[in-house]
Amino acid sequence: MSSGVGASVPVGVLVESVGIPAQSGGGLVPRGSRVEVFQQIFEVFLVLGTLVGVVVVGYMTYNAYKYRDRDDRGDADDGIDAPRVGELPTGSGGGRKLFYSFGLSTILVVSLILWTYGTLLYVEQDPPGDAEEDLEVEVVGYRFGWDFVYPNGHTSETLRVPEGETVHLEVTSDDVFHTFGVPELRVKTDAIPGQRTSTWFVANETGSYEVRCFELCGAGHSYMTADVEVVEPRTFESWYADTSNESETANESNSSARPPEEVVG
Amino acid sequence: MSAEAEQSTDHGHGLPPASSVKRWLVTTNHKDVGILYTVTALFFLVFGGVLALLMRIQLWTPGEGFLAAVSYNQAVSAHGLIMIFWFLSPFAFGFANYVVPLQIGARDLAFPRLNALSYWLYLFSGILFGVSFFQGGTFAGGWTMYAPLNIPVYTPNIGASTAVLALVLFVASVTVSSVNFLTSMHRMRAEGMTLRRMPLFSWTILLTVWMMLFAFAALLAALLILSSDRLLGTQYFAATDAGGSLLWAHLFWFFGHPEVYIVFFPALGVMAETFQTFTGRRIVGRKWFIAAMVLVALQSFVVWMHHMFLTSINLQIKTLFMATTIGISLPFDLMVFALIYTLIKGRVRFTTPFLFSFGALVLFIIGGITGVFLGAVVLDYEFRGTYWVVAHFHYVMVGGVTALFGGLYYWFPKMTGKMYDEFLGKVHFALYFVGFNLLYFPMFLAWETPRRDFVYPEAFVSLHQLSTVGGFILGASFLVMFYNLSKSLLVGEEAGDNPWAYSVTTEWALPSPPPLENFPGRPTFETGMLEFRRGPGGTERSGVEAADGGEPTADGGEPSTDGGAAYVAEIEAESGHDEDHASPWPFAIGLASFVALLGFSGLQQGGFPTGLSGGFYAGLTGGGLVLLGWTLVRLARERFNGPVGPFGESWPFENVENTKLGVWLFLASDVVLFGAFIGSYVFIRVAHGWTDWHDLIPEAHVVLPGLINTYLLLTSSFAVVLALVAAERESRWGLVASLGLTFALGVAFLVNKALEWLHLFDLHGGAFAGGWLPSTNVASSTFYLTTGLHGLHVIAGLFISLYLIARAWGGAYLDDERPVEYFGLYWHFVDIVWLFLFPLFYIL
Repeated sequence: MSSGVGASVPVGVLVESVGIPAQSGGGLVPRGSRVEVFQQIFEVFLVLGTLVGVVVVGYMTYNAYKYRDRDDRGDADDGIDAPRVGELPTGSGGGRKLFYSFGLSTILVVSLILWTYGTLLYVEQDPPGDAEEDLEVEVVGYRFGWDFVYPNGHTSETLRVPEGETVHLEVTSDDVFHTFGVPELRVKTDAIPGQRTSTWFVANETGSYEVRCFELCGAGHSYMTADVEVVEPRTFESWYADTSNESETANESNSSARPPEEVVG
Repeated sequence: MSAEAEQSTDHGHGLPPASSVKRWLVTTNHKDVGILYTVTALFFLVFGGVLALLMRIQLWTPGEGFLAAVSYNQAVSAHGLIMIFWFLSPFAFGFANYVVPLQIGARDLAFPRLNALSYWLYLFSGILFGVSFFQGGTFAGGWTMYAPLNIPVYTPNIGASTAVLALVLFVASVTVSSVNFLTSMHRMRAEGMTLRRMPLFSWTILLTVWMMLFAFAALLAALLILSSDRLLGTQYFAATDAGGSLLWAHLFWFFGHPEVYIVFFPALGVMAETFQTFTGRRIVGRKWFIAAMVLVALQSFVVWMHHMFLTSINLQIKTLFMATTIGISLPFDLMVFALIYTLIKGRVRFTTPFLFSFGALVLFIIGGITGVFLGAVVLDYEFRGTYWVVAHFHYVMVGGVTALFGGLYYWFPKMTGKMYDEFLGKVHFALYFVGFNLLYFPMFLAWETPRRDFVYPEAFVSLHQLSTVGGFILGASFLVMFYNLSKSLLVGEEAGDNPWAYSVTTEWALPSPPPLENFPGRPTFETGMLEFRRGPGGTERSGVEAADGGEPTADGGEPSTDGGAAYVAEIEAESGHDEDHASPWPFAIGLASFVALLGFSGLQQGGFPTGLSGGFYAGLTGGGLVLLGWTLVRLARERFNGPVGPFGESWPFENVENTKLGVWLFLASDVVLFGAFIGSYVFIRVAHGWTDWHDLIPEAHVVLPGLINTYLLLTSSFAVVLALVAAERESRWGLVASLGLTFALGVAFLVNKALEWLHLFDLHGGAFAGGWLPSTNVASSTFYLTTGLHGLHVIAGLFISLYLIARAWGGAYLDDERPVEYFGLYWHFVDIVWLFLFPLFYIL
């Protein structure tokens, strides 16, 4: 049966797909920077999704064409069991086939999601690096821009971070609901007034990236951007040392103006 | 046909002919109301579609240009709101109104005037939304209306308030409609038409209205709180330290996710019907199909937080909601497979309705697969707020709409008696399908575009230009449809009773269009086949001729006047009166609500601004409220005979009379409304700190007034019981006296509350030197608004009791005490709510 074809192919790809992350390190569950993790999972989903879509849509189109109504069709059961106006609605048989297909799609979807759940746990709880030494930056969204507050109190409108190191972000908002995101680094989290959300990222290449807002926040929403500058760790260290000198004087009032809020979630 | 002749085929129901404008203002017949819904929804499709085209023009190049930033945000927001609220569901409910009573064998809905009222509230809510564009611009915070962008600090224009009030009126329409459909579908099915045997389209509508009843109550709570924040100055969503922003997200999505299925289920029903008709096969796995839908309807209320994966909710909750989300996707797999397997061994005829349904299934499969991507939380983190989401939900929702257009072509011959042009129908489908995919598929490829942004990376320019081209093709395809349908309406071929071979459901056994009373006799499925019975004990029987393969018969378009007349005479003889199909009051109530709400939109911080515009809005409010009260009384006083029993199948409510069931259903939605208010209070209080809350409340807020009011209300409940007893004993003065006592106790409750509030408003010194006003802090906001909502229920109850007293004075209710009983149900409910509010707001 055609459903059998649909059965064997996705399962084959599934088995194969599990191999992809295995090659790129981290065993069965994709690990690494958020860019890597996203890319691996997205590719597997894309391949499987396209395949399932093509198979299912192809199968239904094939059947619709095959069983099209033609004058020269002489079906044996024609006219015997044809539905009639006024009959109470009932169903046709074929329940077993329905359940095989349903079971197959359930296995496929559930195993895919379980597979990504391992990565979710990793992303949520176990970022690479030593949490004690990682850089932690507070991000405050406002209409229409972003403030980045470093542990020493230095506040900037540009997020400057060292290359290859895990950066933790504590994100909140000063006014309305925003969403902080750096598309190229695959990091994103909501910036909610009165709440704090945390996330992390690793930038593996130096350069400049763009922060954008991903939740409609008013007239300037489309322009609510900021820069991320990823620099060599040594450059970062010296820059950061400079800011701590200046922050003791200039930014003291700025940092104390924002009392630490209770972390929710 | 002359007006008199047409009237005569209507058997003198006092309904003007279809060619007169007056008919459409006063009709209460479900088929007329269905046509009104369909036409109005198509108008809003054009409205929302033009807004979408404005956006697509803007997106031709990245950056501001065609529209200013604020205008673009308004277009985005209004497009979403209009399409989801004023187009999608009402379009489906055009068919539901027309077809469901026919399919289940009911002569009309249970409450025909309330059905007309639903329509007029819907139309006037849409007009109110349109007006909002001219009050400094409409709401510009997205259709999800996230807090606190939705409060006047950030969106100060009056139009934004009007848009919120328009939604409130729309929800009122939906609630009335849900109660009506649920009562009708549960109580008024023909003999043999058990729930298990209902046609699938009717099944989808039944589940849709159940979801609507509860989901829209949660939305109503959110909207009432938002209106209060905007108009009265309460502090729910401004209180960001207490989680106001998250509160909105929870309330909105608790409604918002069931809403996805609310708009999609009717489309699924159309697909199921058209797949069966045009393949000539009964659906595969029918009972599993139904079971899957019931499962989805139940589960739809426990998946809402998957819209909030990037907020501060914790990992455990994310895991739970990931699991429920995946769980809810699986029943849809089963439904999709059931539809596909129905094709096999069928005789598939590619008519326009089938093409649209088939296309819809293809689009839904693509929408479903891309939805699994979003179900994986790790991927969702990156897709959040991007065009992946936009593309996905357009494939799902507009995919559903595709099937609804199939439904329009499918039932057009039934509704008008005329056949559409098949060739033009296929041209419409071809343009539609190409335009659709050209519009939405490039959005998957350009998914990194931030949603609701007009500035996007240069790399995506050509993809967005493709989308824009697709959008215009999609829009143009509707020109073909409008041309086709209007031309066919005027000069189309007669369609006959049943233009489709292998159709099964009852509507195809009737003339096109069916006569006012729908059937030539009492419909019954007792023998397993549809029969119409007349005469004492159903001695005169007429069956249904077998489908003749789509040959339009010569007299197919004409109602069988003789048979209808005999049936109408019989209904009249049985129930002692003719059935009515006309009332002017639903329209008038809709108009009055429109005027009153337009007036309310001018409120700021609980008062009207001084000057000319303030006076204008105050005048509208006053005039609208007076008009509303008057029209409601006139509606109540009007003699109107709706369909009466006995009905065939009423499981599971055989022993609950229609009106009583209606009251119970309304109260069920009211439970969700109060539940959402109480939930909001608890949520905000927990976020603020449960015990710190007391710092926000003045010493003067004491238990005593609440305690007195508890006694007053409890006593008034006993008074209502006494009234019912008096009515049963046919004691006129006993009835008047105990209703009077109820009224007096209710007034005492309100007076006591007014004194309490005035005292709190007027505090001096201490922490609340300016008084403890609704706008003072979150604690005062929750207190005044929640108990105020309860107070409004008490006031409504007092008006009803006044009406009852006036009627009882004249000797009413002695032979039929049911109105007193139903008022009692409402009044007891209001008392029970107080028993929850009293400890929450006075003791804890």
